[in-house]
Amino acid sequence: MTPLLAAAKIDGPEIDWAGLSPLIALIGGSILALLLGLFRARPVREFLVPFVALAAIGTALGLTIWQWDETKDLVAGAMRLDHLTLALTGIFCVAGIATVLLSWRHVAPRESAHGEYYALLLASLAGMVLLVGATDLVALFIGLELLSIPLYVLCATEMRREGSLESGLKYLIIGSVGSATLLFGSAFLYGAAGSTGFADIVKALGDQDIRDSALLLTGVGLLVVGLAFKASVAPFHMWTPDVYEGAPTPVTAFMAVATKAAAIGITIRLFDVALLPVSDIWQPALAILAAITIVVGNVGALGQSSLKRMLAYSGVAQAGYLLAGIVAATRGGVEATVFYLAAYTVMNLAAFAVITAQQGLRPDGDDLGAYRGLGVERPLLAWPLTLAMLGLAGFPLTAGFIGKFALIQASVEGGYTWLGVFIVIGSMISLGYYLKVVATMWMTESPEPAAPAPAGINPGTPPVLAGGSPEADAQGLRWEVACVAVVFGALTLAIGVYPQPLFELASDAAGAIAGLLS
Amino acid sequence: MKTVETFTWAALALPLAGAIITGLGFRVWRGKTAGVIATLILFSAFVCAVIAAVKLKGLNVEDQQHTSVAWDYAKTLGVDAQLSILVDPLALYMALVVTGVSSLIHLYSVAYMKSDEGYTRFFAYLNFFVFSMLVLVLAGNFLLLIVGWAFVGAASYMLISFWYRRTTATAAGIKAFVINVLGDVGLVLGTYFIFKGTGSLDFLTVFKEIEEGAAFAQTNDGELVAGCLLLLVGAFAKSAQVPLHTWLPDAMEGPTPVSSLIHAATMVTAGVYLIARMWPLFEQAPAAANTGAIIGCATLFIAATIALTQTDLKRVIAYSTMSQIGYMVMAVSSGAYVAGLFHLMTHAFFKALLFMAAGSVIAAMANVQNLNKMGGFRKSMPFTYGCFIVGGLALSGVPPFSGFFSKDEILAYTADRGGFHVALAVVGYIAAFMTAVYTFRLIFRAFWGEPVEEARELEAGHLAHGEHVNPANGEPEDTHVGFPGPEHHIAERAPEMKIAMGVLAFLATVAGALQIPNVTHAVDTFLEPTFEESTYFQTLDPSNTLTYFGMALGTVLALSGIALAHFLWVKRPDIPATLIARFRPLYSLSFHKWWFDEIIDFLIVRPAAWLGRFFDGQVERVLINGVLTGGTTGLVKSASAAVRGVQSGFLRFYAAAFAVGTVVVTFYFLVA
Repeated sequence: MTPLLAAAKIDGPEIDWAGLSPLIALIGGSILALLLGLFRARPVREFLVPFVALAAIGTALGLTIWQWDETKDLVAGAMRLDHLTLALTGIFCVAGIATVLLSWRHVAPRESAHGEYYALLLASLAGMVLLVGATDLVALFIGLELLSIPLYVLCATEMRREGSLESGLKYLIIGSVGSATLLFGSAFLYGAAGSTGFADIVKALGDQDIRDSALLLTGVGLLVVGLAFKASVAPFHMWTPDVYEGAPTPVTAFMAVATKAAAIGITIRLFDVALLPVSDIWQPALAILAAITIVVGNVGALGQSSLKRMLAYSGVAQAGYLLAGIVAATRGGVEATVFYLAAYTVMNLAAFAVITAQQGLRPDGDDLGAYRGLGVERPLLAWPLTLAMLGLAGFPLTAGFIGKFALIQASVEGGYTWLGVFIVIGSMISLGYYLKVVATMWMTESPEPAAPAPAGINPGTPPVLAGGSPEADAQGLRWEVACVAVVFGALTLAIGVYPQPLFELASDAAGAIAGLLS
Repeated sequence: MKTVETFTWAALALPLAGAIITGLGFRVWRGKTAGVIATLILFSAFVCAVIAAVKLKGLNVEDQQHTSVAWDYAKTLGVDAQLSILVDPLALYMALVVTGVSSLIHLYSVAYMKSDEGYTRFFAYLNFFVFSMLVLVLAGNFLLLIVGWAFVGAASYMLISFWYRRTTATAAGIKAFVINVLGDVGLVLGTYFIFKGTGSLDFLTVFKEIEEGAAFAQTNDGELVAGCLLLLVGAFAKSAQVPLHTWLPDAMEGPTPVSSLIHAATMVTAGVYLIARMWPLFEQAPAAANTGAIIGCATLFIAATIALTQTDLKRVIAYSTMSQIGYMVMAVSSGAYVAGLFHLMTHAFFKALLFMAAGSVIAAMANVQNLNKMGGFRKSMPFTYGCFIVGGLALSGVPPFSGFFSKDEILAYTADRGGFHVALAVVGYIAAFMTAVYTFRLIFRAFWGEPVEEARELEAGHLAHGEHVNPANGEPEDTHVGFPGPEHHIAERAPEMKIAMGVLAFLATVAGALQIPNVTHAVDTFLEPTFEESTYFQTLDPSNTLTYFGMALGTVLALSGIALAHFLWVKRPDIPATLIARFRPLYSLSFHKWWFDEIIDFLIVRPAAWLGRFFDGQVERVLINGVLTGGTTGLVKSASAAVRGVQSGFLRFYAAAFAVGTVVVTFYFLVA
């Protein structure tokens, strides 16, 4: 054995630990949470583990801010640390913190064991950071898988609920198809360009023959499909409503914002950096996909009675809006996309926090009917949801308005005015379902005095399995969830009133992508 | 500069805080709490404004105009949208008048509105109004100006319709709001033209570009004139100038303190402020400025003739307000900026005073406002009578009261412009004579003559409490929220009202001393940094002959007007009836307010209503609702059903869709 090991000595690339530090904090936190979860003491499992997760994400966020003005290639060019990576890492961390708070005292971590739950969450976060920083097809794929595999499991963590298990399984199977497509696409691209590094791909694409090769075109097509799947772009969105509805609500919130941000982030980097020389090929394709997505998402959300399902379709539509910014392939477009991603994160977290709170209060908390008269009964929950809905619909003075405005402007300047028109039409249709929620909360009265959550769970759910009690599931209003709702509801408004600082961040992030038209 | 900015922002923020605090407290506060809090907050705002003004005057002249930016709303989107205020002498002058008079009117209302069920709401609205007005006068760019402009309109609407169960009050509120929105549209469109020409929304940047000739270099540039005329539409609607004035008399449906604050002292002067603030634009577009001067002159004359024959106490004062604002609009449009703004201030004092005194009389009459039913209150209400006399003398322009100096300055400066402006000044003098007549007609009819029953009762110590009816149409009312409260309050018995009126009476008497020709120039000096570049500010300087002749003429006209009023309504009360019979057409013209309401109704309201019915019946129901909306919603609904139908829940189906999608996309890339 010894000679073999000696022979296996390889010269590792130089590693910039400072640049990798946010990633290391997340992975370290993940391992620590997993180990601490082994202790049997309840305080350790129920308080220390979530706290470690929070601390790890907080550290990652702090390190992100510390590294803010750094721009460098990490690990021999596999990853790049720049404003885009850092800005998106910031978004992931905020989403992660919110998710931990929503999960604390939720059913899902209790049923799946706390250590595993938070370890998976942190691992997924690490995958996202790796993904958006990737400047190499291999790193991209590793990041994507590191992001996805923990999520498959997280979806199924409410093990006593059939819907959760179904959601996990569906996501796993259909997700594997998506990953396979992406891997195929990467292979083709590598075959055409002869390299996996983005910088070398750009160089190789200078050659007209390579640009026209069927290998490259097929590769780009498959990459589009793979990423479109992750970002739930129509027609590759069909898993979204089922998985979102079935998964535990904190996990849904996490998928809706962080996964989408990661997918959009790597789309920006892959298309606006590596594939920029062939932008005339992919721009029309992405534009058409964006338009289809906007229509399908908005139209599908109409008439949904499950709020999570409605938000799933709404997320599809929002992915279409975000894609429009990438299609423009200008600095303004990337800036608008990053800005809207942040705004979208804030608005969606507010909405999902309210749903989580409502589900803690009554078993049918996901159903629109459960929100009748909420404005009178629980204004603390009704206001954040109202702001989130108005924001997602793009009402003035909310984050969504100014974000959509920037996206439309980017589309117009990028020569895709018709796509801007689609955004407007989509927003108009979207009022049909966003305002319905607002109207339900404020303009109808609750049918009977709010009954305390009855013992027992949803009608139609299978009998309680061993290891849990329905009484433990019925909780009161959890203050940390209400806090998340109020904070993000307020942020929706604050960004709408004073968007300038966020615009500056987005502008920095867009500046990280060299070679774009300003 | 830093201190000035801080205090100016504080003056702006305090009324907003007051509105919120008072608004939140309406469930818990009883008695006068809300009124006291609101008044104290307003008074602190006034103190802040005073400190800011004093500090500003301590600076060098060139430092006295400064834009203070709180934050950039969005600079990325091609528009320099900022939350910024312009701190300069004009803005602070307006802020002083607004906060000062408002504090006193708040104080008056503490007692006057005491028994109203909506007491706390009233003060929340009132504070919100002051905040809106301050946004308007302090705004440093067009965007914020529009915001303030619209807020003021909204606040005015809420206060006119304060007694929201009175049908006449809600109708008046709607009328005021509609006409004000028309003005808002003018302001917004005008802003568009100016933004188009200069590429900026910031006041100082726009002014600089125009002064340097970087934009609108040509005098009477078509787009600039269009922009200025549209701004004038905004100014006319807010300041009740013909033909957009019909809302102001109706606005008297609001509580009397509201009439005093909004529809006399502050809001209606917004148009005057706007024209004065935009002087670089108007001097570059004389065509628009001349239009303003002529409309102002027409308004001051028409309103004065109407005021001669009206029988509603508050409406007479309302028409007199219109007339006086006509003077101001004429002045600032003719380049007599300081004179117009000086009159704005003195008018705020004496007109607020007159309304307060009128409120006291109306309270003594148990909410009756009809002049025909009043008389002889001289003995029973000595304080109110005294205040009314002071206000009346100031309004008529009798020396040495404040109105005398400000009105004569306007007329002298207007005459000094020469050309057709001389004719405007002559009309101004004729209207000044009428002003004295209608003002003292009010005084003689309400306070002199045989005491009416209410006055006699009051002399015996009983305040009249009539039936609770709407004075406008006689509908019976109760005294719950949405209607006036059961008790009435007169100045003689409420110290708060007495203090407020006393202070205003003092100011109405002596404020003229600020600007006595050839003696004092306080207002002139104060406002100089704002107007120093103006051609008219530098060149207009009436000769001594003109000034003194004007003052003598003004005195004679005012005194003879009072004498005529005395003759007609005290000495020979039978003559007015004879005159009415002999000059029937003239009387009708005045009594029916020149038929403006009827003309507007015939020309605009009815055709608009007909058009509305036509579009509702034919276009809306058949085409829009039936074909377009029905078709679109049908399409969206069926698409929605299709999307949901595809969502079968079967994994194999999803995988198939995925595969088909992949094939299509890849095929697209290969073919395209």
